[in-house]
Amino acid sequence: MNDRRERLIKLASAAVFLTIVAVAVLIVSQSGSSGGDSENIVSVAEVERELQGIPQDGMVLGQPSARVKLLEFADLQCPVCKGYSEEVLPQVIENQVRSGEARLDYRPFTIIDADSIPAAEAAIAAGKQERGWNYVEIFYRNQGEEGSGYVSDEFLTAIARAAKVPDLARWNSDRKSASVKAEVEEATAEAEHLGFEGTPSFAVQGPDTRGLEALGLLESAGAIEEAISAAH
Amino acid sequence: MNSVAPVKAPAEGTLRGIATFLATFGIGVATYITIADSGGGSPVCIAGGHGCQTVAESSYSHLLGVNVAVFGMVGYVVLLACALLRGDLARMTGFLASLVGFGYSVYLTYLELFKIEAICQWCVASAVLMTLLFAANATRMLAYVGKEP
Repeated sequence: MNDRRERLIKLASAAVFLTIVAVAVLIVSQSGSSGGDSENIVSVAEVERELQGIPQDGMVLGQPSARVKLLEFADLQCPVCKGYSEEVLPQVIENQVRSGEARLDYRPFTIIDADSIPAAEAAIAAGKQERGWNYVEIFYRNQGEEGSGYVSDEFLTAIARAAKVPDLARWNSDRKSASVKAEVEEATAEAEHLGFEGTPSFAVQGPDTRGLEALGLLESAGAIEEAISAAH
Repeated sequence: MNSVAPVKAPAEGTLRGIATFLATFGIGVATYITIADSGGGSPVCIAGGHGCQTVAESSYSHLLGVNVAVFGMVGYVVLLACALLRGDLARMTGFLASLVGFGYSVYLTYLELFKIEAICQWCVASAVLMTLLFAANATRMLAYVGKEP
């Protein structure tokens, strides 16, 4: 009986050792992944809550009657833009966009590398189905390492699914269309025309501005809110 | 030389009773999460907040297309059966099942804290139950395996 007990306890000890190794391997394999993973799209519900109830038209977020329009020129691959999306813009969206004071217009400024272009086209195509801001915000929250090649068709499609783009077939053909390509090129040309050299850069238009005013990089949510208030 | 008096393990019947109670509770928790997910929604956090929705909608909530709560439910049923049965097979199976469940709970808690960055109280409840079940089954196995039922 003692031999049997000894054997079973040895078996249990081996199982404990194997479990510790398996859990450690799982955790290490997860901690190594740094975004850009089409199999693990995160923060979908968080973005849904942030944007819920706010109208979207193309890449414009906010009430059509809002008197001030804030343009954000950004690159989906840009880590600073990701920081703005997560830390700065939620306050502006909650305080001034949701209240109908301002509209936010996302303009692609593709300056990182060639992968920025299909990413921007995918976002614009999602905008054609009123899911452009969901696309942009979910993309940022799952952004991979800049220029690492993570912007694949598979990744872009995973973001579209997560953003709940209603007609994926239409999104897929729109993002490859000449008109969407031209839209991305025009936005980048507009950013250059405004004198912007980095992302994100902002411009504002309202009753108290002389046309579209270039603001450049605004350091904080407070600075963006002040710029919107001043444009009233 | 000083000798340390061995700690006396609880009676096997007591450990089995505790495991029965915990596994039954676990079946309830896992069933609730499974039903909430199958309806296209997510479990509701009783304490408020959006942690449960965030966790349920993350890609980590499913394994091979199946909600992880379904695996949890199967695990708790196995643990309940082991708690109700006598003998070494039940002792060893209960220990191994709770070990796997406990290890997987550690991994899921890591995901909640560091990858999903949201806490779902139903997942925490399941992790606590699985930890207690592991403690009960490990004590049962160490104290009684290889002995008469």
